[in-house]
Amino acid sequence: MNNNSTWLIRREFWENRAIWMIPAVFGGLLLLAALFGQVSIPHLSSPQESEEAATAFLGAVGIMFYVVMGVYSSWYLLDCLYTDRRDRSILFWKSLPISDANSVLCKLLVGMIIIPLVYFAAADATALIAAFILSIRARASIGSSLWNGDVWWQMQVLWMYAIVTTAVWYLPVAGWLMLVSAYAKRAVMLWAVLPPLLLYILERVFFGTNTVGHTIARRLTALPSVSFNGSNHVWTHEGGFVDNGASPLPSVWQVINPSGFFTSAEVWIGAAVGIVLIVAAIQLRMRRSEI
Amino acid sequence: MAALIEARDLTKKYGAHIALDRANLNVEAGRIVGLIGPNGAGKTSALRAILGLTNYEGHLTVLGREPMRDRTELMNECCFIADVAVLPSWLRVDQAIDFVAGVHPRFRRDRAVAFLAKTQVTGKRRMRELSKGMKTQVHLALTMAIDAKLLVLDEPTLGLDILARRAFYDALVNDYMDETRTILITTHQVEEVENLLTDIIFIDKGRIVMDTSLEDVATRFAAVAVTADRLDAARAEKPFYERHILGKVVLYFENADPGKLGGFGEIHTPSVSDLFVAKLSGGAA
Repeated sequence: MNNNSTWLIRREFWENRAIWMIPAVFGGLLLLAALFGQVSIPHLSSPQESEEAATAFLGAVGIMFYVVMGVYSSWYLLDCLYTDRRDRSILFWKSLPISDANSVLCKLLVGMIIIPLVYFAAADATALIAAFILSIRARASIGSSLWNGDVWWQMQVLWMYAIVTTAVWYLPVAGWLMLVSAYAKRAVMLWAVLPPLLLYILERVFFGTNTVGHTIARRLTALPSVSFNGSNHVWTHEGGFVDNGASPLPSVWQVINPSGFFTSAEVWIGAAVGIVLIVAAIQLRMRRSEI
Repeated sequence: MAALIEARDLTKKYGAHIALDRANLNVEAGRIVGLIGPNGAGKTSALRAILGLTNYEGHLTVLGREPMRDRTELMNECCFIADVAVLPSWLRVDQAIDFVAGVHPRFRRDRAVAFLAKTQVTGKRRMRELSKGMKTQVHLALTMAIDAKLLVLDEPTLGLDILARRAFYDALVNDYMDETRTILITTHQVEEVENLLTDIIFIDKGRIVMDTSLEDVATRFAAVAVTADRLDAARAEKPFYERHILGKVVLYFENADPGKLGGFGEIHTPSVSDLFVAKLSGGAA
């Protein structure tokens, strides 16, 4: 990482204070809920039950942060090459000896890795404090069971794995959003949605097939099934510890499927498309200045 | 010495519209050059090309580099202020200084801080809280603290009041300019820059109409206030422009014999604004 990149990333934090304010506020709301909400955790007798409770609790906090992160990151990527063209400040940034490739790649890095890391940290902090609050409020064994060190470590692994796989899987989506952001003169949201929608409709009308729609839908929704082992993934199993109490909980190492994910052709074809789109965004960035 | 900016047949098209039409430019080191033209003449297109912000046809080198290909390297030695309103609203003054200090190898923080100390601007203010005049001061402080060979200013005082405009140009001439630097200014407000320029380039409809140093203007151009009885004789000397003021007719000549012109009336050297109007009114004689 060169010196300019460090400054470019710092710059993104100056401009987009929402990067840390949204997770901070969201975490704060969850903590308020933990403080004043109803606590109705069943009495946990066995170590297995308490482990399941901890998994469900940490998993639920994690998923909520992950969803908010996905929404915010998408918005960030769609906006990041557009606002400075709209307010013409791009003319200031371009008066400095920083290459367009460096700027664009730093914004991609912020959107795909750094924002998720911020949410990861916020989720961890929230879960820690919430577990503490709940354990004091419940005064029973619940607190210690919500605070299961082993489960907590597994969650760290899960988060890191999710961040990496999300970044690779959604690279074509990120590339598309950045390309739109570098291209559109107005209405970035419409530009992001309408061309794929139009392609989908044209294909349906003229060929009667649905390759475009299927490809896009799969790209947007299929990450869990590609990156996790299908049979017993905790993420999509609602309230797993309640109705699945008899079977032992799988460890994170059984849940994640890195060998499947990183050898999937679908993953790497998507990543290649993403790289092409990002290169195109850089090229547009070089040629387009203010709107 | 080789030219700092050298353009041959510089052309820029937007679809069917030709913004720059085979323009030739030469800017030498140590000069203050005004690129002057009416709105839509191609000034901004020329600057965008020079700064590597847009692609173009023809040959163009700035500080020996191709701007579009080498913009990053070029910006080490060349600064520009494209209108003063472009500092982003969320940026704080101290962040702006930190950022430029961080990424620009030729930035001298002490100079920027010293310049800002003379103003009302304080470090924690955001650009959105500053007046346009104050933003100009911040931008100037950032730019003048960079040890650059070429400074490009695009309509730098657009939207500023007269006090802020005067302060801008005073700072530019007194604190910034020296023999190692070169400034290229575009403006359509000729009066406000004509006293500080060493060279003028007139541009109209994408073409360079005139390119001369101010020293040459005095020998090349003459304006003669002619009385009515000598008008026909004077017109025979082929003035390129006529202006009727208060019953008198002022004729503008290029490369005419001063001995002959003296017989028609009082001769003076036209101001840049007069020349601008005369040249761009397109041979009204």
